[in-house]
This record gives sequence, structure tokens and C-alpha cells, in this order.
Amino acid sequence: MGRITQLKPLSEISTPEINLAITRSTVSIADDQRIIVVGNSAGQLVEFDFSSKNSTSEKAKSEKPTSRPFESGHSSYVTGVAWTKGGIVSVGYDRKMIWWDPLERTVLREIVAHEKWIRRIAVSPDGTTIATVADDMHCKLWNAITGELMFVQDDHQPVTPHHYPSMLYAVAFSASGEQLATGDKVGHIAIWETQTGRKLGELESPGMYTWDPKARRHSIGGIRSLAFSRSGSLLAVGGIGAIGNVDHLDGPARVEIFDWQQSKSLVQLSDTAMKGLVEQLHFSSDDSQLITAGGDNNGFITVYDLATNKVDVQVKAHQHLHGMIVDEASQRLYAAHHGKVSMWELQDQPVA
Amino acid sequence: MSLFSQDQWPTRIPPDTGLRGIENASQLRDGTSRRGFLKASLAGTAFAASMHQLDILQSPALASELKRQQKHVILIWLAGGASQLETWDPKPGRATGGPFAAIQTNVAGVSISELLPKMSQRMHHSAIIRSLNTKNADHGGAAKIMETGRAVDQGIPCPDLGAMIAHELGRADSQVPDYVSMYSSTEGRRQGGSGFLGGRYAPMFLTEQMIPENTSRLESLSELDHSARSDLRSFLANRFREGRPDLSVDSHNSAYQRVRGIMSSANLFNIELEPMDVRARYGPTQFGEQCLIARRLVEAGVPFVKVARAWWDSHGQNFETHLELVSELDHVLATLIDDLEERGLLEHTLIATFGEFGRTPQINSSLGRDHFASAWSASLHGTGIRGGSVYGKTDADGLKVIDGEVNAADLFATIFQAIGIDYRKEYHVGARPVPITDFGGKPIRDILL
Repeated sequence: MGRITQLKPLSEISTPEINLAITRSTVSIADDQRIIVVGNSAGQLVEFDFSSKNSTSEKAKSEKPTSRPFESGHSSYVTGVAWTKGGIVSVGYDRKMIWWDPLERTVLREIVAHEKWIRRIAVSPDGTTIATVADDMHCKLWNAITGELMFVQDDHQPVTPHHYPSMLYAVAFSASGEQLATGDKVGHIAIWETQTGRKLGELESPGMYTWDPKARRHSIGGIRSLAFSRSGSLLAVGGIGAIGNVDHLDGPARVEIFDWQQSKSLVQLSDTAMKGLVEQLHFSSDDSQLITAGGDNNGFITVYDLATNKVDVQVKAHQHLHGMIVDEASQRLYAAHHGKVSMWELQDQPVA
Repeated sequence: MSLFSQDQWPTRIPPDTGLRGIENASQLRDGTSRRGFLKASLAGTAFAASMHQLDILQSPALASELKRQQKHVILIWLAGGASQLETWDPKPGRATGGPFAAIQTNVAGVSISELLPKMSQRMHHSAIIRSLNTKNADHGGAAKIMETGRAVDQGIPCPDLGAMIAHELGRADSQVPDYVSMYSSTEGRRQGGSGFLGGRYAPMFLTEQMIPENTSRLESLSELDHSARSDLRSFLANRFREGRPDLSVDSHNSAYQRVRGIMSSANLFNIELEPMDVRARYGPTQFGEQCLIARRLVEAGVPFVKVARAWWDSHGQNFETHLELVSELDHVLATLIDDLEERGLLEHTLIATFGEFGRTPQINSSLGRDHFASAWSASLHGTGIRGGSVYGKTDADGLKVIDGEVNAADLFATIFQAIGIDYRKEYHVGARPVPITDFGGKPIRDILL
């Protein structure tokens, strides 16, 4: 697609749960159906079919997306879900990692993958390797098909400089699948070689650590999202900036972009118009734009122009936005919110 | 306020307090119940006795026992309002329950949040109250209720829990403070106060640093000179007192002696005097260090210590907040209990944890919980407590109390009863009786020994 110029809401469905994680379903590849799978606060996976919204039929357009739950599996919040070559895989605060049959929506394999809360899952672009990060401060690499544990990567301190438990929130593969990045609560980032598990480098983004030593002696920030550029040279890091009042998420939505190979911070993007945590990051196919999403009590989707580092497009989304997937081929963006799942159209103009 | 002025007893109520007809501090300090007054009258001694004597006559055995046992209270004030759902009253599997699991404690049938694994193994020292309904969910008003055990508008300045316990358990000959309050964070910082009990029972309030200011002798003054000045002051004061049987002069002299005592007890606040292994047990956080100071103060005879830990007001990211703060609470509280037990102090010391209110079962769109006073929890540990007991019950989602509803007065009555203070005692402010426990408050006997 070309340059994103507008985000248009197409469809949404309200849910009683908090929707935390989102992925496309395997069946949507073959059938070109708009089926997504969402993980929620009830420990469930739910499949939503937005296909009717592709139809030109007015009747179909007015229909609500249908939803079908998976069989039960998790006993706490589902914090990550991903499509892999081995099936849909989900992780949660119950420390479990579960492989699912996407058609039958039944459990294929279930393991206790970490000792503490699992925060996020990422899958290599070819769908064969899974990375999970958890508050035991390990990043684990898994064979997505066999479930075999390949590497355990440790570079993140278990306690913060102020002696509190740290948290390992974010993980992302590069577009080539050759590198992996992990980011924690205090703003430390490690870059890994996927094939060998070797550490390639590290970066620091201390502005993501929101420790308040005076008023509240408390912090709630941290690196919440990571994304490599398509070229592989840039790494975007998302979180929140300096917070005035950590009772709420009253701080600027913050993104820092690094040339990770040169260990150089290139730019810090700070948005006070729509505040809160940057939970999701996505580089456009030509690396000219960066889509960010998250929020405080309200949600936002913001598209930055990476030539000018200015906001290109910004929309207010329904409540805090936790998860996002972008399907550029069909120019759709799907989002998991607090109490809602939504589909947006990415309207573009051709690149000159 | 200087230490000196804190130590003085007010002999006259300042004109702006609205208190009329109170002529001296003993009426405030030693107010007694009508029943006690009658008993004393029947003994034929009432009208000749001072109010202090009346107090002793009322229950000499109790007074003697209290002094022998030297009860203490450590209040861990969870400023801003900790979540009952992420501490003492978990609701796993419910929409309101949040992501944390519940864990079984060492008492059969009692589960608490998985964020409290160390406390789960110390439930035999603990009682949980799960049915507080204190009605006020405003920070300021709710804090006042939970500080004084009664509604805000009483028409008189009421003392807080620390002042009342300092009054009841403090010793006239004590060389250490009766009430120490530590609060370092600026958010929610509240000094508390002794209300009509007077400045004698106001807290030594520590904010920016944990070692009291102005307790060191001036370097330019030698210890010999310091003592000599004190002796001269006493000599002159005693000369002045001759022929002037005025309590205010006695109070003035007493205050000087207490200041010297506090100066000499400044080392109690210096945890560098503790062995490294003891400091390591409490951990390097400020809250841990303050609780270690609390133990040192209790060991030295201080009746009431308040350690305020801020800031629990988790409107956003409630679970991250509680993962950080409850983990610390679990470690420090468990360490404090162990330390007191090993020193033989736990059987004389009550530890209470609560703040101004709890947090809403509903999870807001910032993954936060808001203010909630309708159905929340407190915990009590140590002396006088029936270990492993749980009182009260909330519904499946934690939205309301369905069994054993209690209020702040009941909680205060329970605390008083646990440490041997008659919860029915009354102070007299002029002619007005003011009960130590607000009207209607009763101890929760199911959790008391």
C-alpha cells in the first residue's frame, strides 16, 4: 500500500472482557477471510469473523462480526497470542504456553513455560520460531512446530535500581527473522541473534523508567513495545515518558528510535496530545511511517512520518488499546481494546 | 514544630479550638468513665483525688498489667488505599478478580493473594478482616476516619489512634517518644494529631529524613556544659516552683527532661547501628528501613509507631502497582513479624495494616482500580490476635459485604482490646464525654484471643 493518510473505523464489537492480545487466524490466509483471534482477561481465546465487512452487500455490512470462543485453557489473563506454523499459540499470566488447533479451537499442547507472568509472545516472520518474555526475566526461544525449547536468554536484571521486582514486557523479531530484541521495565534493551541465541548488542532508554523518588516512590512505565524497521537497521521502542502523576497514566506517549547496530539513539517522539503507554509499534512496508497504538484510559492510534518525525495521522480509539495487527495487503488494522475489538481501514495515497 | 513544643502539655486550650471550660490538661488526659467515677466516689476518695489517681483506682490491676507487659502497636499505613483484591481478599477467576491467583496459607481454608507468599506462611500470627465498610471514599475524609476511628465532624478535634495509644500506654517516666510517625513520600503525607489530648501526645513526625532533626547537641557545647546548663535550669525551675503548685510548671520541667531523653534516644533511629545481617533481612528499601526503625523503637519502649508507605492510589496500572508494592509489603511485613517473634516482642506487639480505603472491584480502562470504601480489608498480627482467623465476607465479586460488616470504630475497638485497653473508656472534654471508641464500636471478638 501507499502512504497512510487516514484511519477509518469500519467495525467494532463490544465485549465484557478486557482484550489484551490479537492475531490473525490461520484460516484467513487461504480463504482471504478476515478472521482474528483475541486473548482476553477471562483467560479465553475468542475468534472474531469480520469477513462480512468485505462484502458489498448492505445487509452483510450491517451485521455484527460473529464470535466463537476457543475451549478453555488459561486460568488468568491471556497476554499474548500469535499465529505460527504449529498453530495458534497463546501465553498468559498463568505462566502457561498453549498451542491451539485454529479450526477446531481446541488445545494441542500445553506447557508451563516460565516461572512468573508471561508478558508477550513474538513469532518469527516464517512462523517457525516463537519468543516469549516473562517476569522471571528470561526470554525463551521455542520451536513453534515441535514445542522444543531452543534457547534461554538472560540479560535483564530481576530487580530495579530501586530494589523492586523488574518486569520484562516486550519482545520482537526483525523482518528477516535473524534478530530479536527484548526490553524491560528500566529501559534496558538487548539484541539477540535468533539462530545462535548470542547477544549482539544492548541499548538503554532510561526515559522509559518512570521511578518517582519523591511523591510516590513508585513506577509504572517501562518498555512496553518493540519493532524493527523493515530494513532491519532501526529499532523502535515504545513506552511512556516522564509522568507527573503515576496514579494515572498521565505521561506522554513515548517512542525512541535507535540505529541499533551503531548503538545510537536517533530520535525521541513524545506525544502529549494523546497520552499513555505505547503498547504497539509497526513500521510501514517502506519504513516511511511508524504506526503506534496504546493509551491511558482512552486509546489512540498515531502514525508518525519518519522523515519529519511529526504526527501524520492520529485518531482517538475506544478506551485503552492493548493489541494491534496490521494487514497492509488488505489495508486493515485490527485492534484489541479494553472492552472492544475493532477493525479499521488504512486509507492511503500512492507514493509519488 | 520543635521537639520542645511537642513535649509540652497544653495547660490552656488555645482560643481557636472552640473548646470551652477546660481548665487544665489533666481533665483531658485523665478523663474517666462515669462508671469509674462512681466507683471512686463509693470508695470515698473521689473528690480528694486527682484525675490521675481516679484513673488508677478505676482499674489498678489493669494499669499494673499494662506497664508490666509494655504493649506496643506498629501501624503500617498503606497510604492512598491498597487493593483488598490483590492482598487479603482475592477473587480469582472473577471478572473483578484481576490476573493474580490466590494461594493457600498455612492455615487450612484461608487463601490470600499470590503476591503475599511470605505472609501466607505466617497466617498463624495473623487475622484478616474482610468486611470493612467505612463509607467514605474521598482521600482526605476517609483518612481522617481511619486515623481517628470516627466520623470527621465531631465538633472537637479528636486524637488519632497513635495519640490515644500513646496516652494509654505511654509512661510518665519514659525517656523515649510515645508516638513516632514516619512518612517520607510527599503524596498523601499526613501528620495526624493528638486533638484534645494535647501536644504531649502529638507524633514525632519524620518526613525528609529518618533520624530526628535537632536532637544533636551543638558541637560548640560540650556534654559537661550541656549537663551543667540543665542542672542550672532545674535548680532555677525548682526554686520557681516552690509555693506555686501549678501543673504547668511541672509540665514545663517534664518537657525538658523528655527532650533530654529524646536527644539520648536519637540512636534508635540510626539503623547503621544494626548488624548488617539484620539490615539485609529487611532489605534496602526505605520502607524496609523504616520498619527496622519501628522494631528498634518498640524494643526501646515506644508504645506506638506508624510507618506510612505511599502511594497505593492505582487508578492506572493497578496490577503493576501492586506487583511492585505488595511484593515489598510481603517481604518487609514477614521480616518484621519474624524479627519481633525472635526477640520475644511479638507477644507484646500488635502490627496493623490498613490505609484510608480499598480499591474498586471494577477494573477501569487504564487497568486500574479506583477508590472503594464499601467492602475492603485490614490485617492484624501479633499480640492479642487469634492467629489464622478471618472475619467477614464479601460477595463473589467483592462488590459488597455479605457477612460481618464492620466500621472504623469496630476496628479501633478490636485494636484497643487486643492490647488491653478498655475500648469503652471515655475521655472528658470539659463536661462532654468522648469515648475512646466511637459510639457503637465493638471489638471483633472472633479474631481476638
